This record gives sequence, C-alpha cells and structure tokens, in this order.
Amino acid sequence: MRNTFRGGVHPADHKDLSRDAALRPFLPTGEMVYPTSMHIGKPAKPVVKKGDAVLVGQRLAEADGFVSAHVYSSCSGTVKAIEKRRLLSGAMGDCIVVDNDGQFTKLEGFGEREDIYGIAPKEILKRVGDAGIVGLGGAGFPTHVKLAPKNPMGIEYLIANGAECEPYLTCNDQLMRTHAADIVEGLEIMLRLFPNAEAVICIEDNKPEALEAMRAAAAGKQRFSVRALKAKYPQGGEKSLIKVIAGIDYPASMLPADVGCVVENVGTIYAIQRAVIYHEPLYQHVLTLTGDAVKTPGNFIVPDGASFSELLEFAGGLKDGVNVKKALCGGPMMGIAMSTLDVPIQKQNNGLTLLIDDQVEAAEAQMTACLHCGRCTTVCPLKLMPQLMADALVDKDYERFENKLYGLECMQCGSCTYVCPAKRPLMQQFKQAKTEILAMKRAAAAGGKK
Amino acid sequence: MNTVLNISSSPHIRDKLTTTQIMRIVTLSLLPATVVGVVVHGVHALLIVLLSVGTAVLSEFAFDKLCHKPDTWKDFSAVVTGLMLALCLSPSAPLHLPVIGAMFAILIVKCCFGGLGKNFLNPALAARCFLLISFGTGMTQYALDGVTGATPVAELLQGKAVNITSMFLGTAPGVIGSSVLALLVGGLALWVMELIHGEICFSILISFTLFIGLFGGQGFDPKFLAAHLCGGGVVMAAFFMATDYTTSPVSKFGQMIYGVTIGVLGGIFRLFSGSADSFSYCVISANLLTPLIDTFVVPAPKAFKRKGHYARVTIPAMASRIPRPVIVLTAITVIAGLALSGVYSMTKDTIEAAHALANAASFKAVVPEAESFEASDALAETVASLDGVVYGSDYGRAYINEAYTALDADGNVVGYVVRATSSDGFDGDVSMAVGINPEGAVNGIAFTELNETPGMGMRVDEPEFKGQFEGKAVSKFTLNKAGGSTADDQIDTVSGASTTSGAVVNAVNAALDFYANNMKGGA
Repeated sequence: MRNTFRGGVHPADHKDLSRDAALRPFLPTGEMVYPTSMHIGKPAKPVVKKGDAVLVGQRLAEADGFVSAHVYSSCSGTVKAIEKRRLLSGAMGDCIVVDNDGQFTKLEGFGEREDIYGIAPKEILKRVGDAGIVGLGGAGFPTHVKLAPKNPMGIEYLIANGAECEPYLTCNDQLMRTHAADIVEGLEIMLRLFPNAEAVICIEDNKPEALEAMRAAAAGKQRFSVRALKAKYPQGGEKSLIKVIAGIDYPASMLPADVGCVVENVGTIYAIQRAVIYHEPLYQHVLTLTGDAVKTPGNFIVPDGASFSELLEFAGGLKDGVNVKKALCGGPMMGIAMSTLDVPIQKQNNGLTLLIDDQVEAAEAQMTACLHCGRCTTVCPLKLMPQLMADALVDKDYERFENKLYGLECMQCGSCTYVCPAKRPLMQQFKQAKTEILAMKRAAAAGGKK
Repeated sequence: MNTVLNISSSPHIRDKLTTTQIMRIVTLSLLPATVVGVVVHGVHALLIVLLSVGTAVLSEFAFDKLCHKPDTWKDFSAVVTGLMLALCLSPSAPLHLPVIGAMFAILIVKCCFGGLGKNFLNPALAARCFLLISFGTGMTQYALDGVTGATPVAELLQGKAVNITSMFLGTAPGVIGSSVLALLVGGLALWVMELIHGEICFSILISFTLFIGLFGGQGFDPKFLAAHLCGGGVVMAAFFMATDYTTSPVSKFGQMIYGVTIGVLGGIFRLFSGSADSFSYCVISANLLTPLIDTFVVPAPKAFKRKGHYARVTIPAMASRIPRPVIVLTAITVIAGLALSGVYSMTKDTIEAAHALANAASFKAVVPEAESFEASDALAETVASLDGVVYGSDYGRAYINEAYTALDADGNVVGYVVRATSSDGFDGDVSMAVGINPEGAVNGIAFTELNETPGMGMRVDEPEFKGQFEGKAVSKFTLNKAGGSTADDQIDTVSGASTTSGAVVNAVNAALDFYANNMKGGA
C-alpha cells in the first residue's frame, strides 16, 4: 500500500523542541480580544453589548448565514468594548473585547457527558454548527458546512488528519497521544453522517507514540484504520492525503467531497466530540509554542482571544539575550509572519514559532537567476511546472500560465520556493498572479453583466 | 524583544542548497576525469585545464565589472564551463585554444545572452564546436606520449579492433577528459544526488546504443557497442553536457525526447559522417530544440489526465497539443527523404556504369599505349581485401580502389595502373588513376573524382601541377609548400590549395607503395 505521494520536500522538522512536552492549559489574566471573523465566510454578528457580563462558553457573536461560525467566550468577565483591533494578519478587524476576571466561571450545564445513543445526523450537524467549530488545521472553514456535502452517501473515506507535516508543530501529536479515545469517539460520531465511509486516521511515521495510541484506541473498531504515512511536507495537505488514501488526483475546481472524501484535522475531530457529547462550544484548542528563540517550548491548551505575547510570557519567555527576527503564526512552511505578538489567538491557530534568524532575508541576498534545474518541478505535489510558470509570468503570459501550465491549480504549499537553489520566490509570484487573474476574471464577469 | 519583526510570505524556510553549491558539486564531479586526464597526458594537459578555467572566470569577472552586473563570477558556473571545455580539448592542443575557447564560451555564448540560466547553447560545447571549425588540426590531433595517433573511434570507424579497456580507463589517444571510468564516477554521483536528470543521460545512452546496434552493421555485439559507448565523448555528453540545466527541457517527457534526439543524432553522425568528434554537434543541435520542447511538451497535472473517475470535470483537450505545422513539416521531410533515397537507389547502377566508363578512359589516358587492362587473381584479391580500409599509415586517409597491368595489343606489359582515393580533400574524396611505366616511373595521373573549390583546389587538375609527377621514378613524393622545387621527389603545392595538393600526393604515394609491394616485377 502506498504511504506517500510523489514530490514534496523534507525540511528539518525541529519537532524535538516540543514533541515530549505535555499539553498544559494556559489561563490568561489580561483582556481578551475575540475577532468576529476567525473563519472563512461572513464575520459573525455580536450578540453582546458593552458592559454585559459573560461566562466561559457564552456566545459572543452568532453566525451570519450558513458559511459563518459562532464566537464563544473563553473567559468570564465583562464586555469592555466592541471595536476594531489589530489582528495577526496585520489588518484591523472587528473584535469583542472582554475584561477577564480571571475566575473562568463556566456557563451552567456546561461540559456534562450525555449519552448520544441513536442521535440523528441532523442533530449532530446542529450541535457542530452551534459550537462554532471551524477547521483547526489552519484554514478555518466552518465544519458544519464541510460535514454537510450534497451526497453524504457518496463519501467513501473520512480522513482524520494527524499528519502534522509542518515543521516545529507538535500539538496534534500530543493531542493524539493523550486524547486518542476521544478522537476515535469523535470519528464514530462523524461516521454516522457518512454511512458508507471508512475512517482512516493518517499520521506521519515520525510520531510513533501517537500512532501507537491511535492504533490502540481504534483497535477492534469496525470501519476504522490507522495509516502511518511517510514524514514529508506537504503530507498533511488535503490533496496529498486524498492522493495517498483514495488514490485520486482532483482539480482545484472540486472539493474533497466531490471525490468521496472528507478530511478533518484531529483537533477539529476532538472539538466535534466535545461539542456533540458535552455540548461544549469551541473556545479553546491546542497550540505549540516553539522556535529556537523560546526558552521552554511546549504544547498548550489555549483559550481563543488571549494574546500571543501573554502566552509567551506564561510559557517562560525568550531565551536570555536573544532577539526574535521572525514570529510565525503556525509553522515555517505555511505560517503567517506577524509584525507584533500583541494580537489575539484565533480558533484556527495551531502554533507560534519564534525564530532568531530569518532565512527569507538571507535567501533574498543569495538570489540568482533561475538555473532551470527543475527541482521545483520534481517536488511539486501537483506535478505542475513551477519553472515554466515563472517564465510565463516574466513574459506576463497569463494565458499560458492559466491554460497551458494550469497555474491556477497551485495550492501554495511553497515546496518549490523552499527547494529553489536560486532562492527565487516562486510560490509568492504564483500567488500574486493568481490573485491578479482572478481579479481580472471577476472584472470581466462584472463588465459582462452591465 | 524586537518591536519590529520581519514580515514575508510563507514559506519562511529555505533548503540549504544554493546555486553556488550546485556548481561546486558539479566541479567536484568533474575532478576525477580531470585528474586522470592530467596524469595520463601530463603537464601540457594541466596547463590547458588551468588556462581554460582561469580564462573563463576572468572573462566573467571582466564582463561583470565592465557591464556593472552583480558579481556572478564567484558562483562557480564559469569554473564548470572552463573545466568542461578543457576536458573536451586535445591534450596536445596549442595553448591559445583553451584561452580563445573559454572567452568565446563565457563572453559570447553565456554573457551576451543574459548570463547564468539564459544561454541557449551549452557554453562549453558551443566553444568546442567553434574551435573545431576554426582551428581544425589543433583540435583533432590527439597525441599520446608525443605520438599523434588516431582516436579509438576513428579506428573503430575504419573497422579496426580497438582496446576497450584503455578507452574505459582513459589511456587511449583522445581528449583530456576521455576516461570513461572517471566520468562515470562523477556522473553517477551527480545522478544519485539528483543533481542531473536520469531521464536525459539514460535516454541518450539507450537510444544511442540501440541505434548503433541496429545500424552499425555488427548487430548487438557487446564489444562493438561498448567500444562505441566508450569513445567519442558519449559519456561526457550524456552525463555532463546534455544535462546542463539551462539548455535542456524541464518536463520528464520533454527530457526523454531531448535525450533520444541526441542519441539518434549521435548514432547518425557517428556511423554516416565518419567523424569522431560529432557528439558535440548533436548536443548543440538538441539544445536548439529545447525552447520548442518546453513550449509544447507540458504534461497536464494528474488531476486533468484521468478521465474515468469523475466525468463531470471538463478536461481541456490534451490531444492535438502538437501544432499542425510541426506535423506537416515532419511529414514533408519524411516524404522528401524517402523520395531522394528512392531516386538514388534507382539511378545507382547507371551512375556506377558511367563511373566505370570514366575510369576506363582515365586508365587509357595515363598509359596511352595500352589496349587492355588485366589483373591477376592474386592482385584482384589483394585489392579486394583493401576495400574500404585506409591504406598504410603514412598517407592520411588514402584508399586503393583498383589495380591493373596494362597490356598492348600483343599482350606485352606496357605499364601499370593503380586507382587510388584520398578522403583528405578539401571537399570530400579526391580519386585518381596513377599510370606507371614498366621502369617504375610515373607515367601520368588522371582524376576520376575531384570536387574541390574552383580556382583553388581544382587547379591540381592543371598540367603545371599534374605534370610534376610525370616521368619521375621515386618511391615517395613530398609536398613542398615553399614552391620552386627542383628535386625529383618534390612537388610544389598549388598555391592556396595545400589541402588538395596534399591529398593528391598522399594518394599517389599510396599508389606507388601499392605498386612497389604488389605489382613490381610483373605480378
């Protein structure tokens, strides 16, 4: 049986920094900032006013439309303001600011186990939607939308994504080691939605403890299998997983559900289990604080809305005399570089990586002309031709880029940029071109309507 | 902690491998061949290597400075070019060749077309071809231990047996980097490190082997194939020249097309042009195809290839991706080629008959007293055994075609005729009948095939030149380039046509030698 896809890269994983640090709850003391948009889709609408008292697990904002998600409080206190605050992307966004009283008083009836024997699929979807669950792998797509494909009977594989191929990050590793049974239970709930599906738990082979824990938890269960995949980036990408498990390549115009697959991050599955069985909304999740600048890297259960800088302080701060050059929300391959740590942690954030050196800065200084060595073509998991795509962009030949070279298929995994010996920003160029082409298309479509 | 952090788009880490490192590794991979070359061929070879590499780096340095470009001379790519050029030069080449070659490679082929990654030909090979055309003799004379000898491939093409072991080890006459073993060590290392594309190297080697096996006339005889593979820079081209990133296609399929093109062209050039140095031209020709291949051979991502799994996806028509003009042109070329070869085979017999008549007329011209020309069985057999084989070792590429005893009407011997050909003419073969009188003196010569430059080479057919041979009884003529010779065995060249004159003298000497050994005394 195949255990990986073709292509991909092998960056140093640096997981040793935090892989064996047990999950620790992080209880912040300062003010909490809840962005109304921690998901893909329309921002949620606030349902509290300034001065309202809130408890842990209380809804602060509700989903606006189907593709949207509720926002819940992760602390108890009073609403201080509803205003624009700086978010991790650098932009300003609507936020609900809560003055944390430090008590973490929970809403009544919260977190009690319920027997869900015979629960209807509709009820499962409702509870998932009510809990405001979004994809915790990083994208933040509302989960209740993903779990409601047009044809649930056609889903063959329910893929639990525990690959964690991103360097440095280890929180899902820890989650699987300690909450294996809960994850399996979450998958059992999800399997009720997809009667013809088999649950496949995918873990990279550099996490033997997690593999063992998941195997033990899934042992003897019907419609379950655990697969050890080769440790390689981007193994945890949706397309890579579907390629490995179902053997299918599909174009960007299609969703995983169109090829009979649903892929969920193990963190999301855990959140589903909490939501359906314990009525617990999504207000906290696992996150890895790591990087060569951090004194004690570790894995934490962090409440949404807390500040990254407070988390760093809580965890013991930086190594002595060290200057951070780069702070990444997430890992180094897909993470977002932050200009400041004084921004709130969002639902879908799974890492904070603080680095002493900025390899991008060094790479920019070393940039040479493209050698046409073809390494980018070798590593591209989609078998695109990054080198020719870059050439087409030099000529501004968008027609060739899109139609001949399938440039719009690029999923921006960054493998080509990572591997380029000439240190050329390939993926960044593609991303920009994609944005431009899509904008032109929208403009053309709008022009056509008039 | 810093208040201002660096912002950039992901990914935020980079592989350690850089352009310079790749070039360093390629340089290292060429070192085994360089070391073997220098050890076998001596100090002069070392000088060539040093001059070539030095000039290459200096040229790039000068270009960077003069044109205010970033310092690309440090990135080792010029070293690679210089080293590759040196490795495909003759170890006895005059020292100005590596200097001129390296300057041509770097300044003209590389820098003038935009520098690293922009050149459309492999700089080292382009320079080698430039030198081959411009400085023929210095490039194609391969001396080993001070003795100029034919390269194994040249001998192989003449049907001689060659020493494969010495070719493999690099101890046969040839270019500096002719040790197949050392090249394989470096090339395979590059392949294992995934720095060169196996698709290119192996498609060249396989297609070339198949072509030689199919058309070489000796079938798949392992020794014959090995000899062809070990000689003439095949391994150098496959692993180091053709795999040059910039001038080879990107897609795997494109690389195979490119490789097979080189392999097949190599086979054609090797078998039908008779040149031992032809592999450079194959790679250069294929380099020119690369932009075309990269434009048209772009495999679609897998998601667009597979139809069966989901019918809803509209798959862009992948068929008929080859533009119509290419198909039409190919068809025209094939038809024209077939037509030409058809005409040739139909008229072949007529042409040969005409040749025979012309030959007979020329025989008569050089021994006017003769009524008939006869050859004893032994003589005919000797001539037949020499068919297609270079005669002797002192006459260049000379061949003996026919030999007859000339008889008058009464059956008395009135002379001898030997028809000899030299392939060292300026424009192909120079063929002539040499008449010898019973006393052993040259009666006269008459050309049966002469395609030299009018006004220059063609002037060997004038009495001033031809007449010099008449009535001379010597065992060997020498060409006197200075002119004004008085001695019997000295022949003045036709001014401006020393190549043709030399070919004639060689052919006459071969004929005289053949006469002396096989016919003298009324054989």
